[in-house]
Amino acid sequence: MSDREPVVVDGKRVLGVVPGTPPGGERKVLDEQEPVMVWPHLLVRHGVAALVVLVVVLLLALFFNAPLREIANPMDTPNPEKAPWYFAALQELLAHFHPMVAGVLVPTGIIIGLVALPYIDRNPRLSPRFRKVAVATFTVFMVVWIVLTLIGFMFRGPNWGWVWPWQDWYGEL
Amino acid sequence: MKVMERVRESTVGRSIWRAPDRATERDRAAGHWANFFLHIYPVKMRRKEMTFRYTWFLGVASVVLFGSLVVSGIYLMFFYVPSPASAYGNIQNIQTQVAFGQYMRNVHRWSAHLMVLVVAAHMARVFYRGSYKSPKEFNWVIGVILLVLTLLLSFTGYLLPWDQLAYWAVTVGASMAGFVPLLGETIKGILIGGDTVGSATLLRFYVLHVAVLPTAVVILITIHLWRWRKDAMLDTGADDE
Repeated sequence: MSDREPVVVDGKRVLGVVPGTPPGGERKVLDEQEPVMVWPHLLVRHGVAALVVLVVVLLLALFFNAPLREIANPMDTPNPEKAPWYFAALQELLAHFHPMVAGVLVPTGIIIGLVALPYIDRNPRLSPRFRKVAVATFTVFMVVWIVLTLIGFMFRGPNWGWVWPWQDWYGEL
Repeated sequence: MKVMERVRESTVGRSIWRAPDRATERDRAAGHWANFFLHIYPVKMRRKEMTFRYTWFLGVASVVLFGSLVVSGIYLMFFYVPSPASAYGNIQNIQTQVAFGQYMRNVHRWSAHLMVLVVAAHMARVFYRGSYKSPKEFNWVIGVILLVLTLLLSFTGYLLPWDQLAYWAVTVGASMAGFVPLLGETIKGILIGGDTVGSATLLRFYVLHVAVLPTAVVILITIHLWRWRKDAMLDTGADDE
């Protein structure tokens, strides 16, 4: 650019354009793989996450009281007898299989299977697209387990018979 | 903030923080390493691995819930004696006489249920992200043990109110242990300390619940986080997400 024809921007003459990088450096492009300091980048997020969790807990505790039934009485078996909700799937299995299967083989098998998982699945790929077998197996297991838990928790009444949760509620927390 | 800087640079401040200069990134890394609470964390991580989308912050949520359980649990311990003669009355007392007793019991109960959910969700998230893969296999194993310990903590705590809900839930749970081949009755006997759930069971579950299991969880969380920190800047190789 020369001074022969003055360039005018917003009514002002531009004296010249200097080629090269601006003194502040190139505009920073956010790179997802770039390592950044944990403080503040991660710790601020963790702080917010912690506050959200605490607010949820403190509000739940404000609006819902923990249950307390009558004092324990070994002579009076309630019907249904319910295990805590996280064992509801096992209890549901107990209604269909021999206790040896539902109470011992299945839980032991699940724990051993989970522990062994990273040693069985040696496929290094991360994206689910390249891990179809592993993802399908885990998803099927998880869905079955969630369904069994919901059935045992919400859909079972006296003598472990089927009840609709909107008619009779036997779920205990 | 200016005041904080002055405090850090005073003689006392230097003795506490030891690396008070924070001008360059190197200084800040030194300060990070010198801090007990921060040293649980890696100094740097990839931007991508800090996003909500990547982790859903389920790990940190588990730790926060565990903290909430320790705090509310210690409060409840002041007002509770683990014996069939007193346990139920203690809970009634906590709910009606103790300042914030009902509220603390609620916090403890809902934190416990949430912790089981969140720990399970954390495991699922780690699975779908493939974060159990080499060389992090063993941290996944520790995570599985932590999940089992979480369930055991919740289960042992379930008995302590000594109401019908607690008594029969634990009776159902303990009866399952009896079906283990050969050792079934022995395991059940060790677990509940007798033929039926009674005073020995309550004491055992209490000791497990307030001493043994929490200690094990703290130790394993420490190892879990230590390994996580060491692996924070691993080259994950085939990054095909």
